[in-house]
Amino acid sequence: MILLGLLLVLLAVFGAPLFAVIAASAMLGYQKEGIDLMAMAIEVLGISQMPFLSAIPLFTFAGYLLSESNAPGRLVRLTGAVLGWMPGGLALVALGACAFFTAFTGASGVTIIALGAILYPALKEDGYPDNFNLGLVTTSGSLGLLFAPSLPLILYGIVAEVSIDNLFLAGILPGLLMLMMLSGWSLWVNRANRKPLATFSWRKVGASLRESIWELPLPIVVLGGIYSGFFAVSEAAAVTALYVLIVEVVILREIKLSELPRIMRESMLLVGGILIILGVSLASTNYMIDAGVPQKILEFVSAFVTGQASFLFLLLIFLLILGAILDIFSATVLVVPLILPIAAQYGINEVHLGIVFLAAMQLGYLTPPVGLNLFIASYRFDKPIMTVYSATFPFLMILLLSVILIMYWPNLSLFLVPG
Amino acid sequence: MTGATSRLLARLERWGTAAEDASLVLLLGSLMILAVGQIVLRIFFDSGLIWADELLRIMVLWIALIASVAAARSKRHLRIDILSHFVPERYTQVPGIIVDGFTASICGLLAWHSIRFLQITIEMDDTVLVDFPSWIAYGILPVAFLLMCYRFFVLFAKGIVDAFSEKKIPEAAK
Repeated sequence: MILLGLLLVLLAVFGAPLFAVIAASAMLGYQKEGIDLMAMAIEVLGISQMPFLSAIPLFTFAGYLLSESNAPGRLVRLTGAVLGWMPGGLALVALGACAFFTAFTGASGVTIIALGAILYPALKEDGYPDNFNLGLVTTSGSLGLLFAPSLPLILYGIVAEVSIDNLFLAGILPGLLMLMMLSGWSLWVNRANRKPLATFSWRKVGASLRESIWELPLPIVVLGGIYSGFFAVSEAAAVTALYVLIVEVVILREIKLSELPRIMRESMLLVGGILIILGVSLASTNYMIDAGVPQKILEFVSAFVTGQASFLFLLLIFLLILGAILDIFSATVLVVPLILPIAAQYGINEVHLGIVFLAAMQLGYLTPPVGLNLFIASYRFDKPIMTVYSATFPFLMILLLSVILIMYWPNLSLFLVPG
Repeated sequence: MTGATSRLLARLERWGTAAEDASLVLLLGSLMILAVGQIVLRIFFDSGLIWADELLRIMVLWIALIASVAAARSKRHLRIDILSHFVPERYTQVPGIIVDGFTASICGLLAWHSIRFLQITIEMDDTVLVDFPSWIAYGILPVAFLLMCYRFFVLFAKGIVDAFSEKKIPEAAK
């Protein structure tokens, strides 16, 4: 059994699709317990029993559509008009625009491709050092995944059976903390080059607002709709997707009708990858909970730690390693059901746990050896991977500091959450 | 491989991609329209379709599985991607063949057990959406796993063929 388990790990390291590895481990477990393997089919069908799940394909599609239109350029111009007057303006613009965009595109790497392509050359032109630009753009690619309606937040809510509305609220302040710490660092590094991007002018703000008039209602529709009790998350997703589709294809005509099948397919590739893992994980999680895996981990952990603080520290180390190996989606689906009961034993709020979990996983985008953003940036900007590593390192340290703060300051996450 | 077979395979490939794209467009489009329609009905007419919610969930299941087949074709399934970045291609060739073979057999197993499950739902006259036979809604399960099995088997077979032919023409792939 242990030997077979090791074999599966080896297969995973050699690049076997995770869904196959998870399915195999679940089937091994079922076999051992004498459960008919037909149960696998029943578990995978569990995908069709989950409420709000339609939010995932719908938001992902909306995000891909936005990234294929000229919305990224409009967003940069708008943020530029609003924030550009500050010293070090363009760096702040980059952080703000990326955070906003990532919230809508679900931290799938499209931010670096859609916005990085505009921001990276602009930063260079503005006289920022190349290493700083590379690090900034790479880091920004996953910044904002704590802001609604990001895909990881929704997925955590579904897997942990926690209110997604509350998660959206809980992510706001921790997300702002990350944004502010990175902005502070950017200003400090460029203290010699504190030139504003442009002088502030109402005319420019007005022009960029008019230009973005069609996209501006989006956050209001999504967040306003959800918090006024008008929409459930999945309904907000449907409205967003249909709205973006009509705006970009029919009204602004930035996306040709003939391009739609390609964009739909492209966006659904990610969705299929996530949901199939969710399906087979339902089987493996059920088996592991039946086999008492969380209790065993708890017994093991309690031998090392006694209080909440030391547990959180251990959790941080674990999440950093996890994030360095697994992508945020697989990690959420696989690990959250197992750590939830353990964290509850240490009195950790499940909404707070979600924010900590996702914030720590965000670092995973930037940690060697497999950080997704590192490779996308290296590929997109044609830089050796080692250069991207070292350029990103200071940003990674700032983010690590923010994760520690988020971890040990639960009220930062829970302040806005009712109840 | 003869010319006729490879032409047939290429045609299958094109049709397969087109079928995946068409079903995804159709499903995603109807998902949006049905979900928004349901909201409109609720807000403006204070009513709704009873079966809409269940149908939406079944559509998500179909999207998940068809997209998963598409992800297999486009090699976009989530995986731990360590080796491909750091180890030269020729050293990952044999593990790659093993991995594809493993994935094909797991998908095959999943397809087989899904079919067994479907047989039971047929025997039990299980229904969804009021009185619609559930095996039609759930039938996507074995179909998707079989298609993925086929996909990974093709990769597996191709890997073996490449491994042998590469000995004759080294580095030809590059």
